[in-house]
Amino acid sequence: MKRLLLVFILLGLVAEAAWAQRTVTGTVTSATDGIGVPGASVLVKGSSLGVVTDVDGKYKIEVPSNEAVLVISFVGYMTTEEKVGNRSVINVALKEDVEQLSEVVITAIGIERDKRSLGYATQEVKGEALANKSTTDAVRGLEGKIAGVNITGSSGSPGASTNINIRGISSFTGSNQPLFIVDGIPISNNVDNTQNTLFGTQPANRAADIDPNNIESITVLKGPAAAVLYGSRASAGAIIITTKSGRNTQGKTEVVVNSSYNMQQVSSLPKFQNQYGQGSLNEYVANSTNSWGPSFGTPGYDSVTTTWGQRVPYQAYPDNIKDFYQTGQFLSNNVSITSGNEVANYLLSFGNTTQKGIIPNSGYDRTNVQLKGSTTLNNGLIAGGSINYIRSSQEGIPGGNGASAFGQITRIPRSYDLTGLPYSNAAGNSQYYSLSANHPLWSANNELFESKNDRILGNIDLGYKITDWLKVDYRLGLDTYSDRRKLTLAINSGRVPSGEIRDESWFRSELNSDLLVTATKKGLLLEGLNASVLVGNNINQRNSQSVGVVGQGLSFPGFFNQSGASSFTNSFETSSIRRLVGFYGQVSFDYENFAFLEFTGRTDQSSTLPKENNMFFYPSVTASLVVTDMLKLDSDILSYGKIRGNIAKVGRDADPYSTETYFVSPSFGNNVASVNFPYLGLPGFAYSSQIGSNTLTPEFTTSYEVGANLGFFRNSVTVDVTYFSSESSDQIMPVAVANASGFNSRYANVGLMTNKGIEALVNATVLRRGDFKWDVTANYSRIRNMVVEITEGVKDFPIPGNGFGGITPSIAEGHPYGVIISSAFPRNDAGQLLINPSTGLFQPSVAGQVIADPNPDWLGGITNTLSYKGINFSVLVDTRQGGDLYSFSAQDLKSLGAIEMTAVERDQPRILPGVIEGADGTFTPNNIQISAQQYWQALGGLASEAAVYDATVYRLREVSLGYSIPKNLISKSPFGDIFISVSGRNLLYYAPNFFMDPEINTQGAGNIRGMDLNGAPNTRSYGVNLRFTL
Amino acid sequence: MKMRIFSKYTLVVAAVAFASSGCEDFLDVNESPNSPVEVTNKVLLPPAQVGTAWASHNELNRLTSPIMQQMAGAAGAPLSYDVYTITASETGLTNAWRFDFYGSMVNLQEMIRVANETNSPAYAGVAKILKAYNFAVLTDVWGAVPYSEALAGSDKTTPRLDAQRDIYLGNQAEGIQSLFDLVREGLADLDQTTNVFTPGGEDLIYGGNIANWKRFGNTLLLKLAMQISNNPEGEPVAKAVIAEVLAKGADAYITSNAQNAQVKFGSATGTQNPVHQWTNVGSFSNDLIASTRYLNRLQALNDPRLPYLITKPTASYVTIDNGQAGSRPTPTTSWSRFGSYVTGQLTPNTSAGGDAPIKLITNFQRAFILAEAKLRWDIGDKSAQELYTEGVMASMAAVGVSSAEVTAYLAQESVGTLSADPTEALKQILLQKYIAWTGNGYELWNDWRRTGYPELPLAQNAAGIDGTIPVRLPYPSTEISRNPNMPNPGPQTNERVWWDAQ
Repeated sequence: MKRLLLVFILLGLVAEAAWAQRTVTGTVTSATDGIGVPGASVLVKGSSLGVVTDVDGKYKIEVPSNEAVLVISFVGYMTTEEKVGNRSVINVALKEDVEQLSEVVITAIGIERDKRSLGYATQEVKGEALANKSTTDAVRGLEGKIAGVNITGSSGSPGASTNINIRGISSFTGSNQPLFIVDGIPISNNVDNTQNTLFGTQPANRAADIDPNNIESITVLKGPAAAVLYGSRASAGAIIITTKSGRNTQGKTEVVVNSSYNMQQVSSLPKFQNQYGQGSLNEYVANSTNSWGPSFGTPGYDSVTTTWGQRVPYQAYPDNIKDFYQTGQFLSNNVSITSGNEVANYLLSFGNTTQKGIIPNSGYDRTNVQLKGSTTLNNGLIAGGSINYIRSSQEGIPGGNGASAFGQITRIPRSYDLTGLPYSNAAGNSQYYSLSANHPLWSANNELFESKNDRILGNIDLGYKITDWLKVDYRLGLDTYSDRRKLTLAINSGRVPSGEIRDESWFRSELNSDLLVTATKKGLLLEGLNASVLVGNNINQRNSQSVGVVGQGLSFPGFFNQSGASSFTNSFETSSIRRLVGFYGQVSFDYENFAFLEFTGRTDQSSTLPKENNMFFYPSVTASLVVTDMLKLDSDILSYGKIRGNIAKVGRDADPYSTETYFVSPSFGNNVASVNFPYLGLPGFAYSSQIGSNTLTPEFTTSYEVGANLGFFRNSVTVDVTYFSSESSDQIMPVAVANASGFNSRYANVGLMTNKGIEALVNATVLRRGDFKWDVTANYSRIRNMVVEITEGVKDFPIPGNGFGGITPSIAEGHPYGVIISSAFPRNDAGQLLINPSTGLFQPSVAGQVIADPNPDWLGGITNTLSYKGINFSVLVDTRQGGDLYSFSAQDLKSLGAIEMTAVERDQPRILPGVIEGADGTFTPNNIQISAQQYWQALGGLASEAAVYDATVYRLREVSLGYSIPKNLISKSPFGDIFISVSGRNLLYYAPNFFMDPEINTQGAGNIRGMDLNGAPNTRSYGVNLRFTL
Repeated sequence: MKMRIFSKYTLVVAAVAFASSGCEDFLDVNESPNSPVEVTNKVLLPPAQVGTAWASHNELNRLTSPIMQQMAGAAGAPLSYDVYTITASETGLTNAWRFDFYGSMVNLQEMIRVANETNSPAYAGVAKILKAYNFAVLTDVWGAVPYSEALAGSDKTTPRLDAQRDIYLGNQAEGIQSLFDLVREGLADLDQTTNVFTPGGEDLIYGGNIANWKRFGNTLLLKLAMQISNNPEGEPVAKAVIAEVLAKGADAYITSNAQNAQVKFGSATGTQNPVHQWTNVGSFSNDLIASTRYLNRLQALNDPRLPYLITKPTASYVTIDNGQAGSRPTPTTSWSRFGSYVTGQLTPNTSAGGDAPIKLITNFQRAFILAEAKLRWDIGDKSAQELYTEGVMASMAAVGVSSAEVTAYLAQESVGTLSADPTEALKQILLQKYIAWTGNGYELWNDWRRTGYPELPLAQNAAGIDGTIPVRLPYPSTEISRNPNMPNPGPQTNERVWWDAQ
């Protein structure tokens, strides 16, 4: 064959030489920068004649005739053809082929689709963008990268949960966290709080169990239309994680090793004052949390007596808070082994991450082992599966207002030597200036929380092609974990002075089965019209059980076993089961690969709804049109244009056991004094505070979405914009009732909430010159949420969860979801603050006012990536504009006189901003002088608007600099690739209106946002990473 | 080939068969394994009683004890209470309203329903008496409150407020039953002799003793009557009710300490009474310290009860003045606090245990009420002096001081003998009632608001609305936002309630 070809070529050459052979010369340049392209191929079309360009992009070729056509091509550029004609010099400018817009994306139920056919927005993030980015949590790695998605960490504690909302909040009281899908099966992202969220430690959300190193890609399905096949659980969107798989390595074994080491530091301590010490009204007060005492150096104040009678110097301890924290660190290692051929492949990976937190006695440890494989059997059946075992453990100390280390850390007077003075006395009890709280270091060493989670994720995939056009797939997935937790509060701990040992076991299990039949028909009715039909069945079961033995009244110190406890009345057991059976179908049409239309419907039957109303149907229709292909536009400016739109409706069922009113074993009291049943050996039952309803119907969200995908300048700039609007109605929720009814809430279908938003994603190659490339990716999202209506007689009610009386994250008519209702200072009609003429202070505040809105105005992020040969540098800056934060920590620091601004001209009198109402109803500006202490205390009161701050922040979220060692340097070594990088996270932030880092939400993942109730501060981390293959 | 066909279709068939068959049973799993939907009165009664004790003796007592100057605020919320600053968003008070009053009383309502259904009127009688007691506390503290439309669950999610006058006196036009009639109804239920179920050992107040429950009811009538007697409209009703109770004979009401209506508590963690918990246990235990004013008042009378009423951990009592600013005495272990009579395990000068019962209606209270009734209206056979001495002796006996000490105490002219001047005599009665009721700030506050006795000088640094001692509590702000029938803004702490017509 080869020989024959040679003969033909030789014959051809002879023939051409005999005819009108002549020479053409020219230069091949890059259209982007005009620089010559070396090594480009120049061929005569239809022949084997060809040359390559020299270092300057010049070429010289013999052409057979004027009819000849030159084909000029080079990797990364669009291939160009030129007819020779009578020209002898042909210069060619090659256009870059930047973006292949026909990419394959994973959509609902694992269906792979050409992105151009989609009528809704999705966004994909590759695993490389998540691994080696100085975080242990893949979800945090998405921060700032996805349009329309708001991600907020709850605190800097190791393993603390992360809140994620896609396109705003759509359910009043249901979960607004997206559904997480790993390799086609839904997994639990529950948080499972051990304690009241006001006080407890922050357990991880379970999506954090996934090792970022194992992730191939994450696809975010944003709207209901994208997620409709997943059913009701994906009404808040879905995050589809695809883990790395084995592949065809032609039988060779490839080993990939990833290692990284990072250090973490507290990033958000404010500037403190160091002029005035502990006390009030310029006097030293030994048990005071205030720093309104005498200035340092005041005669007679060389030393003072502590509450336990020790003489200590009276001086500033500038780092007394900072020294409480330590440098945290984490070490991650991941090894994966893969091998495969045409028939079968496997991947085995092992990963471990060990973290030590910035807070004493806090840490996180995760070990992942995964085996994944697939094979094609002789009978044509494709069988695959994966099993993933995850062990994660978390250690921490309880936070929260009052008797916790974090509750205290912001209340340390400037002259208190926190780390210098012993934190415990001879009896082992806390020794501290405050008589009603414990020393934070005593708390950190005597109040410990530990969680050990064992989890198995497994799935089996079977696929079979019955005929060319008919395919059956079956997928069975299991996610089960048990979390063993222990909280020990030593005797004399603030929260439980008699001591407490809380042993809890949390179990969750989810079984999910999907059966899919897909039929495809090409050339339906007319040429170019293709159709496919998908029919599926889904069965889902979720089980949970939590059992806790809560022993109090410990017999002696240092022994933390239930056998040492004397009272067990807080012990509990809760279990639940819910089942859902769904049938779904999808019909898709495409015409000539530029026009697409798709109909989807799903019927769910849920165990949690009243039997007569438990079946519900919801449809969607999506369409997209690639305008540039339809009109056969071939423009260098608008290279690609697609418009798309959809209408979708998605239903959601209730929580289990919402249909009845129950009796529970009650407790009375608060954190001051409390009692629980059984009591004195007597069982007791009382109405639960929630009234059930046997008339519940499903809740629905209907959404409309339009968008466009545009590619400019041969797709070197692409834009993806979306406008969406959604309406959530008939929300199943516990509506607040007057407590005088004997209850706190009743389940009902009420309310109407809307979300409207714009999201945009821009990718651009700003510059490409030789090996140098500069890419920019930017995203923007702006969402407006509105609670249009609750129900008659209810204007607002608290978001279910733990809250302080008087500072209530609420659902309020006419306001966006989650506003905080509390007391506001009274104002006149002109909006001026009213001052009490006899005191010079604000008039008593008025309760029940909306004082804060945690919803940001817009979010944005820009990633710049610069690459040159093997060097890659990327920087992500993101911002959150607007949105309020209610901060206990900040208000403490102000009213206690600890923060720098409170020391400025402290000896000078001040006047609060505001007006005084005269007897005749006129207002005169306030002119009553008050002391600096009165002034700052007035501006720092709890449960008031003074504790609310604008949370606008700009952040240097991620920086990484990596280097791939050139292959020719390591070709003789056993290494295939070596990549080293340094990375940093949260290195800098700028918050113009807040003196700490506003990215905090101590209530953890959930619907309550914008509350800083004395949690662990945020961290900055930086480290080195190494990846190599063998 | 055969194998292939098998694998081709079995999967589909199996899954579809599973999905369509027995779907209903498969989904029939929404019955809670965690909580019952129906319970008996035997398990409803204990929490309702503990809730009653908690309602008046947790945060409400942390508030009234300092403003009535038995305790003084050292830190936390009591520091504000002590200088009369009480906000509508105060968590402890909001919780009391929600959980301890209405959240507990709805179970009394359920008890009445179950009692009627099971033909067990004794439980209904018990529930009605407890309900009347709780509503009395509610209206005494907050004035107009949801009453006739309250506790109806989803039938009435925003109940209207009833005026205090209507709650006490009833209002037929509005369909409001008076508290007196509610108690009378309860007494009638207790008189019935046929019961399927009767209260027994689970009854934390009387252990199922129905005769004592009737005494509770009748003595409660006396308390309610006296409470409204300073209002001109209430006075005739008060007189009539007292006469009505006396007419039933001495066996009808509480006449011995053993008959006191008090809720039992334990000494083990989790069973201790609330006053002990916030006095001696927990991070809030240093919020209150005994008031110097209280100490001086009792020391001036050489009161032998003092070591049982407040503690003396060191050589002398360590107290502060009400409203006092600045550093607190150190160490906190030296502080004088509520003593063992209030907190448990009667021992002088110490405070321990937590098993002191929470006293709702007492023998000494009955004696002092009747003494006042005799003094003011000449109702009853016994003289005011006789009843006054009976009250002091009952209190002394409850505290556990020796009879020699009692004799010496009463031998003091100003203590033992009622003045001939009725105003002075009234002051003496109310002073002794004030001492006897130590640890129940609600009763102190009720009597002080009604009569102005004992006279209380303002705390240092008095603040609040206008620097005066509060005469009512602001409605919880959360309830204002939940119930459009609540006035917004609600009345301030300086607006008197209906019966407070001094």
